[in-house]
Amino acid sequence: MQYEDFTTKLMNDMDPALLDFVKEKVNTFIKWDLLRFFHGNPNTADTAENIARYVGRSAAAVKAEAQELVDDRLLQIRLVADLPIYTLTQDRENRTLIDQFLGACEDRDFRVKVVYHIIRGMR
Amino acid sequence: MERVKTGIKGLDQMLQGGLLPETATLVEGAPGTGKTTLGMQFIYNGIVQYDEPGLIVTFEEFPLQYYRDAASFGWDFRELERQGKLRVIMSSPEVTHHDLTSVGGIIETAAKEMGARRILVDSISHFRRLEQDPIALRELQYSFINALKREGLTSLLTRESQTLFGENRQADDFVAFTADTYLLLRYVEIESIVQKALLVLKFRGSDHAKDIRQFEITGQGIVVRSRFEGQEGIMSGSPHRMADAFVKAFVENRGAK
Repeated sequence: MQYEDFTTKLMNDMDPALLDFVKEKVNTFIKWDLLRFFHGNPNTADTAENIARYVGRSAAAVKAEAQELVDDRLLQIRLVADLPIYTLTQDRENRTLIDQFLGACEDRDFRVKVVYHIIRGMR
Repeated sequence: MERVKTGIKGLDQMLQGGLLPETATLVEGAPGTGKTTLGMQFIYNGIVQYDEPGLIVTFEEFPLQYYRDAASFGWDFRELERQGKLRVIMSSPEVTHHDLTSVGGIIETAAKEMGARRILVDSISHFRRLEQDPIALRELQYSFINALKREGLTSLLTRESQTLFGENRQADDFVAFTADTYLLLRYVEIESIVQKALLVLKFRGSDHAKDIRQFEITGQGIVVRSRFEGQEGIMSGSPHRMADAFVKAFVENRGAK
């Protein structure tokens, strides 16, 4: 119990805004992949099926996760001739948060903490 | 006549000063010949030399790849995006086509917001996967090219050759007819060295150089050099010296007499 408290404390040791972001919004590996993809390729506008091909995941999984990112205002969705098209959010505040998150991911220790929280969230 | 300069050393001279505004140019070549580099250079030069913002629409390569490739030539695409002068858009042909034909689409909006004047579409070969029927494919390509013109964009469309050397026959060469300008990039083997050749095959509404020029991809991008001297059959991919032909025709024949 004491060991778990220590681990939790260690894994929570990050900017509170980012901790909240990780726990509430980037709580799956696919969402992480999607954010990384859109951050690297910020003017992508495509269907869930095509984005799934770009990130090497299944279309069904990407569709569900992308929709949650839309609900969290990290992605945007629009209809182009009845095709639902996903793009990165234009919301400045959320774009900054994504920038900060992926910037922090350059650090291995931070990535370990993100992995920890995602796995814990999956339980 | 107003010209849209490519800013590529040697190419504008071949084009009598540059491309014509709001026209579509097809750039065809085998993988690695420099189609995308030529396109990126057209966009980059447009922004930094002629103050003409540009768009890049990619159907295959990730924008990240463009940022990296451009950086290798000293072109900071990310910074140009930050300045609102460039946008590298990744999408699929079906989305792009629907987007362009609908009102207030992503490309239309971006072009208007940025005041974009140039666009690179890389590559138009991907439209083939949308339509198996050649007539429907023609209509699709035709309306796509016209939509780019409608937006006031001077477009450069790349297309892959299916062969590395020599003649390349496209199953449906409609784009070559529809495009206003047609540039061919080819590998040429001369004395066991692979060189690159560029030819302006067609330029609607303007005169142009008819000769086949050597070009190189240097650290600063594409540089078009002089014509191939003393060679015949360049576009076949394996030219021979004119002198050899001369010798064959006159010297050897004379000896046989």
